[in-house]
Amino acid sequence: MKFAKDYRFIGKATPRKDAVDIVTGKAEYIDDLELPRMLHGKVLRSPYPHALIKNINTTGAEKFRGVKAVLTHKNVPQWRTGTPRHVRILDKKLRFVGDAVALVAAETAQMAKAALDLIEVTYEQLPAVYDVAEAIKSDAPQLYDEFPGNLIPLDIPVFGPQTLSSVKLGDVEKGLGASDYIAEGTGSYENIPNPLPLEPPGVIAEWSGPNSLTVWSATQSASWHRFIMLSKMGFPDIRTISTQCGGSFGSKNYSAQPMLYAAALAKATGRPVKVCFSKEEHFGAFALRLGSRFCGKVGIKKDGTVMAVQGEWLVDTGAFSDMAQAQVAVGLGELQLMLRCANWDIKSKLVCTNRNASGIVRGFGGQELESALLPILTKALEQGNIDPVAFFKQNYVKPGEGYYWRDGNRWVSRSKDYSKAFERGAQTFGWNDKWKGWLKPTSVKEAKRVGVGVSVHGNADVGEDVSEAYVRLNPDATVTIHACVAEPGMGQRSSLCKMVAETLKLPLERVNMTPPDSLINPFDFGLVGSRGTYAVGSAVISAAEDAKEKLFKMAEDVLEAAPHDLDSKDGMVFVKGTPDKGVPWRSVIGLMQTCTGFGRFEPDYSLPNFIAMFVEVEVDTETGKLDLLRVVTATDVGQIIDPPSLAGQLHGAIGSAGIDTAIFEESVLDTSNGHIMNLNMMDYKWRSFTELPRFENEILETPIQTHRFKAIGVGEVSTSPGPSAVLMAASNAVGIRLEGYPLTPDKILRALGKINP
Amino acid sequence: MKNRKNQERDTIRLTVNDVLQEFEIGDQRYQVAACDTLAKTLRETLGLSGTKVGCNQGACGSCTVLLDGIPILSCMTLTVECDGKQITTIEGLADPATGELDEIQQTFIDGTAFQCGFCTPGIIMASRALLNRNSLPTETDIKDALSGHFCRCISHYQVVEALQTITEKKKK
Amino acid sequence: MKTSDSCKIQVQEIKKVKAFKHFNATSVDEAIALMRSAKGNANLIAGGTDLLGVLKDEILPGYPEAIINIKTIPGLDDIEENGKGLKIGALTKLVDVVTHPLIRKKYPLLSKAAEAVATPEIRNMATLGGNLCQDTRCWYYRYPHHMGGRIICYRKEKGPCQAIKGDNRYHAIMGGKVCFAVCPSDTAIALTALDARLEIKSSQKVRRVSVDEFFTPRGNILEPDELLTHIEIPKPAAGVRQEFLKYTLRKPVDFAIASVATVVTMKAGTCKDARIVLGAVAPTPVRAVESEKILKGKVASEKGIAAAAKAAVKDAKPMRMNAYKVEITETLVRRALLPILQSVSVK
Repeated sequence: MKFAKDYRFIGKATPRKDAVDIVTGKAEYIDDLELPRMLHGKVLRSPYPHALIKNINTTGAEKFRGVKAVLTHKNVPQWRTGTPRHVRILDKKLRFVGDAVALVAAETAQMAKAALDLIEVTYEQLPAVYDVAEAIKSDAPQLYDEFPGNLIPLDIPVFGPQTLSSVKLGDVEKGLGASDYIAEGTGSYENIPNPLPLEPPGVIAEWSGPNSLTVWSATQSASWHRFIMLSKMGFPDIRTISTQCGGSFGSKNYSAQPMLYAAALAKATGRPVKVCFSKEEHFGAFALRLGSRFCGKVGIKKDGTVMAVQGEWLVDTGAFSDMAQAQVAVGLGELQLMLRCANWDIKSKLVCTNRNASGIVRGFGGQELESALLPILTKALEQGNIDPVAFFKQNYVKPGEGYYWRDGNRWVSRSKDYSKAFERGAQTFGWNDKWKGWLKPTSVKEAKRVGVGVSVHGNADVGEDVSEAYVRLNPDATVTIHACVAEPGMGQRSSLCKMVAETLKLPLERVNMTPPDSLINPFDFGLVGSRGTYAVGSAVISAAEDAKEKLFKMAEDVLEAAPHDLDSKDGMVFVKGTPDKGVPWRSVIGLMQTCTGFGRFEPDYSLPNFIAMFVEVEVDTETGKLDLLRVVTATDVGQIIDPPSLAGQLHGAIGSAGIDTAIFEESVLDTSNGHIMNLNMMDYKWRSFTELPRFENEILETPIQTHRFKAIGVGEVSTSPGPSAVLMAASNAVGIRLEGYPLTPDKILRALGKINP
Repeated sequence: MKNRKNQERDTIRLTVNDVLQEFEIGDQRYQVAACDTLAKTLRETLGLSGTKVGCNQGACGSCTVLLDGIPILSCMTLTVECDGKQITTIEGLADPATGELDEIQQTFIDGTAFQCGFCTPGIIMASRALLNRNSLPTETDIKDALSGHFCRCISHYQVVEALQTITEKKKK
Repeated sequence: MKTSDSCKIQVQEIKKVKAFKHFNATSVDEAIALMRSAKGNANLIAGGTDLLGVLKDEILPGYPEAIINIKTIPGLDDIEENGKGLKIGALTKLVDVVTHPLIRKKYPLLSKAAEAVATPEIRNMATLGGNLCQDTRCWYYRYPHHMGGRIICYRKEKGPCQAIKGDNRYHAIMGGKVCFAVCPSDTAIALTALDARLEIKSSQKVRRVSVDEFFTPRGNILEPDELLTHIEIPKPAAGVRQEFLKYTLRKPVDFAIASVATVVTMKAGTCKDARIVLGAVAPTPVRAVESEKILKGKVASEKGIAAAAKAAVKDAKPMRMNAYKVEITETLVRRALLPILQSVSVK
């Protein structure tokens, strides 16, 4: 058995391959890129949350100096995005404040912006609806003719014909009947926070022929991006290139709107067009989290067994569904991972409302569902005085147990029992000392009260979808990995090079990867759902091993030995046992030749990962201030590939609209006028250097047998347990069940009875 | 408005990374307009795209450069007001002759004190200014100096650790 | 917001990209003369951290023809002590206000307030005068034009105040009349407590106003041809205790949700004089006069302080969403005053 200390690179901190470029400012992000003859595109945006364009006159804008094209719903290509494909690039109907009315391409960004003001528009205002329950009432304003009742279809086969949109198993009535404690209620996670990567979304598009498009974008998944846009655009040939990505957290997986605007303007002008959103557009016209409201019942027994989960999950996706159906499916799957239960009856509804649309965000439905449902569930735990750590530990899916995953099929977990990791986390945190019971503070000092909370989360998308890779061995003993892998911050490009370097026993600097360009790489689904380490890794390792096999076959005659008797290290092939009698790769491969292996990963949804999060908070009961003092995460990753990259992913729980959505993060939607009011980085609150909680990660390494290096990924899951853990901790601190994300001072002071109505 | 001598300039001169740059004021591509921010001039006119623009409103710190050694927000600075000033950007930290990286840059590489890297140039510039004025900052000094820097990947812990590595070394 | 069914968005006559001319003033007189010749179509620029934000987001219907740089006027960033007290040039950078040994020693309230502003980079650029003159942060007022059109309100073009029916969680809990946006300046609160005077120059005259007088619910009292040149702070009395507390959701970075500045003169456990100023609760800094009366002339006690804190918010008229500010403000007043009890025990 190989131990971590035996590895040359795996498990050791190694500098990232792009480190020098990043620290010297050479790394090229989308807005750093300029193409010859490039134009700049800007968007005229709707002043109203719901309106029809009665008349639109663009002659003034067209005549403005520097303007090369102006597009409206009348002359824009009829491409459509969204799921199902209901989102026109420019529509006659506007469905949120900030919705696109017209597009302008001009020589400079300032010219394009100035021209926007010359577009004359006459609007007919329509009544708007913002609340998810109001929107499905029969008399609610209708956003789409094709979606009566503002219900967007959930029966879209995004993951196959049985894509999960409800969970039905066993008999909930019986289960409730057998329960000792039943909790009922409505839980809401509807602050629609913004994942808010620092770099705003941006795309450059260029047509090299009537049917040939190249797109540069800060996408996490260039080949998936290509695949998903093909059908939306009538199947042109698309080449997608990922630029260095300044953070995505899911939201820039394909930046559909900037991409389609840029492509439309590029088609109209015959020149490359860059559409880079401002930070205000990033807030008001780009991916937010889903709004989530759960109304239902949970029944549990005294011993912590979950007997029944029943209810309705109302999912608010805002003005359109980007991939909400996929998030509903995964969310429902993830809930089952954390609650072993024989009786389920959850139905869901996907609803559109008049606000900036939700999109792909880390946590992908599970964070939203759990944050809404867990506060109801904990009412039952409170009734039974059940320690939440014991409860979650008992009820996280164990190896051999089943769950419906996103494809609607029943899967059985091949993963490990994460109890040990959970226990370690609890120990490090000091849970047994700090936990005093439900709604009891850990400590009180004058006005300050400290409370603790915990939550768990996991994702079986670790092995989702397909990845392919070529690994090319060059005669000079360098290796090129052909895999379409972008760099949005996980360091995965470097980690994959480590896996190949380890497999081929080469110095790390000799292994490099092609740029993330769909033209020169096979298909890769992308860096999502924590699949980078396991799924992409497996494909890349498999390709490396295939290449090695081919190398040894080629060496058979040269070394007069059977391939299984050969080994290679540092670019020398030799018979096992006689490393000093080796021959260099070039003698085996030949000078004007290469040796290429291919690897492919097939989807496997049987490997849920796991994360537990313990939090300690302090509430000032005289001011309502909620401070996050300490976070401990606990997980088991099989084998750490790169320690700092993993630590970074776990720390990320504080970013990407995670923990802090329980404390101060929210998009403030003013329902008196439909505007998002905090469209800037002062009024949208984020965590600063000066208020970092003490943060510890407990990372166990119990080998995963189906990965060459026994590793599984956890990047995507770290944000999800945060909000419900904080809600629990803050409630315990003040001794009152607190509700409503985020727990801003007014909510806390009101709950404490300190505000007169 | 009346055009008075010496009030409305025709040209400005500023030193960027030790290289003197002279600009005419105007709205052509190679000129500097009165309303151009320093960030725009650095990135587009001079091609020094290492300085990033995250929010363009002075609220994220990613556009931080040193102006006469002081960290300021280049997106909220007019280039025409930098006449006679010395600007240092991320591209100016490494030794121009040998290419040797600044100690902060090297430490960030060694400690992977970044994730997506977009906030990194701004953070490095602010850190450089901090260490220039106080070579042994405490953890609080470091965090206060970086309080205006937004990082969403949450590289904060590794950034602080990296800077403390430098101060630990100096103590010895 | 418009209520009619059919709404036409006004079209402006623009021939080319909006651009301003930039002028460097080399004296106060020059700056004033330039402002006059622009006939109200010019802005002064000091640190630029507020003005450039306003211009970039096009929050106002107009756009300046000219920007007049006053950083090039010599002598407006000095800090000098004289017999009466301290005279600070309006162009003094906030970072210098924070670190100046004299200010730290004798006027720590101002140093602390300046340090509470924004971030280090902003404090390296922004000036004391600019912090006083900065425009309000009301998010209706500040709504960016390119996100569906700027929002017209009372302050801009005598439209209705949007905050009344809208999201007013950060707006005024007292003193609001036609505009309910709060005064965002931390240094204004401190300077009011320190009884500072502001020196304002025009082509005709020089006038001095107290900080309270400088602010009105519709903005500050500067005429189009006036320039704020100096801030004069009287020497603090012996036995003075200065305190500044700022409540934000995050530390620091944010504008205040509520803030308090206190200057209390103690002698042998008795409060001789008290100036208590509330910030971010009204369009102007608010002197908590009733609170001051409760403390003055009496031996300081916890009970008295609690009463003073209560009195500070007695006349608060919260809007629909900002009642929480009342509790916070009362708590801040109490916590700001509690340290004066230390001088009681030392007696």
